[in-house]
Amino acid sequence: MKSLYAFVKKESLELIRSGKLVLLVIISCLFGIMNPFIAKITPWLMEMMSDQLAESGMSITTIKVDAITSWTQFYKNVPLLLIIFVIIMSGILTNEYQKGTLINILTKGLERWKVIIAKAMIMIGLWTICYWLCFVVTYLYNLYFWDNQIVSHMVLGASYVYLFGIWLIALILLGSTLFRTSYGVIGFVGGVFMIVYILSMVPQIQEYLPSQLLNSMSLLLSTTYPSDYLATILITLLTSIMSIGLSLVIFNKKAF
Amino acid sequence: MDMLRVSHVSKSFGSHVVLDDLNFAVKEHTIYGFIGQNGAGKTTTMKMILGLLKIDQGEIEVNGQKVTYGQNKTNQFIGYLPDVPEFYGYMTPMEYLKLCGEISGMSSLDIQKKASELLELVGLKETHTRIQGFSRGMKQRLGIAQALLNSPRLLICDEPTSALDPVGRKEILDILLSIKNQTTVIFSTHILSDVERICDEIALLHHGKIAMEGKLEDLKKLQRSNGFEIECYNLQDADYLANQIAGSQRLSSTKLYYPQKTKEEMTQTMLFIVNHQMTIQKIEMCEPTLENVFMEVIEK
Repeated sequence: MKSLYAFVKKESLELIRSGKLVLLVIISCLFGIMNPFIAKITPWLMEMMSDQLAESGMSITTIKVDAITSWTQFYKNVPLLLIIFVIIMSGILTNEYQKGTLINILTKGLERWKVIIAKAMIMIGLWTICYWLCFVVTYLYNLYFWDNQIVSHMVLGASYVYLFGIWLIALILLGSTLFRTSYGVIGFVGGVFMIVYILSMVPQIQEYLPSQLLNSMSLLLSTTYPSDYLATILITLLTSIMSIGLSLVIFNKKAF
Repeated sequence: MDMLRVSHVSKSFGSHVVLDDLNFAVKEHTIYGFIGQNGAGKTTTMKMILGLLKIDQGEIEVNGQKVTYGQNKTNQFIGYLPDVPEFYGYMTPMEYLKLCGEISGMSSLDIQKKASELLELVGLKETHTRIQGFSRGMKQRLGIAQALLNSPRLLICDEPTSALDPVGRKEILDILLSIKNQTTVIFSTHILSDVERICDEIALLHHGKIAMEGKLEDLKKLQRSNGFEIECYNLQDADYLANQIAGSQRLSSTKLYYPQKTKEEMTQTMLFIVNHQMTIQKIEMCEPTLENVFMEVIEK
């Protein structure tokens, strides 16, 4: 266990000294601020454009902005945060293959599974910090400007999207054991997501797919209920564990 | 006792056969030179010993334990210095050695002691900057320090001197010589003078097989006689000698080389020179060199 701890420590040092941690924390804060900000300026934007809209025959009545507008922005922008996260993390193993830095570590006797598990732990930790930071910032602004009470299942809904992030992390790991470059990893994660996204257009299977977790905004509006997501949660957890398990198996057989 | 035993190992990448039924063993406390041309399979062999590459056929034992691909149980006995060692550039040498020590399960007291000892040995004691600014030679020296950290029974060095300047090479060779009593060293290279300086035994890898193996002196004795060289003072003498004593090669206008002649033949030539009252600048028997041994095997 000491060696696993040592490798996790190395990974954290890498996040700090490479500037990735600071970068992601700043981006997450900005995303957190952006959600209420866009909500706040929506009426003003509409007013600016009202003349133009009037010309094309649309008239603007008073626009009501509240916490729901801000949370809608949150759910719209989180996929972008996920994409940035995947791009930054795509090199977590492939950079080590390319530079050959793992060879020293593995020949020191570090069991291979510890490499994968340490990297999984670090990515999950980082995702937890970034995502919930973004959430808390939005939450606090909403609290200040409006009233968070009008939405239901606020934290639970956010947890579903958080879980989707974990699923992507598992895919990053699997992609990293299958491909040697970060482009390969990005292509793999993006490809799997595209397939799931296309499949989700079929109504019969939609609710079983991980992508359903991104629709948890409707929980806040009480148009769906927590139990509606049971199937997708189970499947997401199961496929995440399978992805990590598979990457352990593949990584064990990898030549260096 | 054999520290390392490689038996009947074969390896191919696609249709390209790199190693073909390779066999050799390394005794404890020897410096074993592993020689071969670029692409002869030296690095492949080393990576298989470390469990980094799959063994197609055959078996490798380190300290009596079988090497399994993908697992690194036997690596606890091994220190490895790759040909181009790569480190985490954002760490200082001390931080890197600490990481290595913790991974190999040393106690923090041991790590502290051993790491500063080794940094002293490789001359990086006073270097507190991050590794990313290091020169090739500094990385190679840090590479030796990390390889020796867990007091390995077997040290594997993959061309440790190839990329270094003469001073850097001497330093690395001196370090390897100084640890000979504690560790068995396998040392791959194509720089033959390095081998002659420090190795006890050598193996010559050619076309995926050991073409020649044994003690350095024995191998040199194996070689056919190297003949002798005569350097005359003037062109006429050289012409005359070449005419009278057959089998010469002209190295320069005044220099003759008689390949594969024995000592007795040299004595007869000297008699001829004295009898004809010729004056020569020098005559000498050519010593067998590793280079000649090497070339002979390669050309076969």
